[in-house]
Amino acid sequence: MDDKRMPDGIVLTEAQKRSRRQRSIAIALALGVLVVLFFAVTMVKGPAVLVRPM
Amino acid sequence: MSVVDHNAIELPRISEAEVGDYLALLKPRVMSLVIFTALVGLVIAPGHVHPIIAFTSILCIAVGAGASGALNMAYEGDIDALMSRTANRPIPRGRITREEATAFGLVLAFFSVMTLGILVNWLAGGLLAFTIFFYVVIYTMLLKRWTAQNIVIGGAAGALPPVVAWAAATGSLSMEPVLLFLIIFFWTPPHFWALALFRSDDYARAGVPMLPVVAGPDATRLQILLYTIVLVAIAVAPWLLGYFDAIYGVTSLVLGAGMMVLAVNVYRRREGSEALRATRKLFAFSILYLFALFATLLLEVVVPAVALAIRTIAVAIG
Repeated sequence: MDDKRMPDGIVLTEAQKRSRRQRSIAIALALGVLVVLFFAVTMVKGPAVLVRPM
Repeated sequence: MSVVDHNAIELPRISEAEVGDYLALLKPRVMSLVIFTALVGLVIAPGHVHPIIAFTSILCIAVGAGASGALNMAYEGDIDALMSRTANRPIPRGRITREEATAFGLVLAFFSVMTLGILVNWLAGGLLAFTIFFYVVIYTMLLKRWTAQNIVIGGAAGALPPVVAWAAATGSLSMEPVLLFLIIFFWTPPHFWALALFRSDDYARAGVPMLPVVAGPDATRLQILLYTIVLVAIAVAPWLLGYFDAIYGVTSLVLGAGMMVLAVNVYRRREGSEALRATRKLFAFSILYLFALFATLLLEVVVPAVALAIRTIAVAIG
């Protein structure tokens, strides 16, 4: 086997890796905010969270 | 076994877009005005709104506005590249593709509307959905490249946030949010036509039929003056009709006088650097005008509430 051959598939550059990581963290934070928001409103409204004026 | 020619395969584009590029798609400056006007709609609405519900409402409205901005930029990537004001946006710079921006905008639009509907109420959620639809489909896709009245009709989308916020706070609608809507609606033409007057080359290059491009600068100056007269009258009306009090009335009269003087200046000064200066002044003052008008409404509610809280604390302490 030739150990020095190029790896198969696409190899990300450092800039691509950095920006992908940044975007992943931002998506995780946004989802976290959404979860906290739903939890907080459920606490505020109690069972009435499912009773909404149309 | 098949032999694959790797050179013949087109490699997928790997994005190098950073979070800042996506934030730029949200049009942060437009969003800040949306947040501010929505906050005013929420605060002046009658009754008590729990701070978490208020925060949720403003957040959803802000994200909905951002979604509209992203979808607008996705659709206008071609003309944004031709205008100096917009050439630095993420799509013309090649940081984000139109498809990525569309997906981003649609996801944000979906989540903002659903979250507002589920957590607050469906009247507000429905109005937010309508606002996004109006801005993206009616204004961006249909009106903007078709008629010089694009920003007049399209202005309705920018005028809706305080109405959405009022609906979020009360679950209903009444005359006050309609008045706020009308103020922003009639503020939009003089504001954007002032901008279009000193950016008309940009719009002409991009083939956008803004009024100065289609009807000429003099006709635009007349329209700015006429719309400013209507705007000033509409802005004073809530005080005269008894919806807002005298502090607002006096503020709207003083600010309205400033708008009128500057609009008359734009109408009279038609040549050279004086004309350009007059137009820039009106554009800058129009932002201050709307901000100060809405800030007055905000302060009228916030200042007495803070004073009452301080008095209550003082009584409790001593």
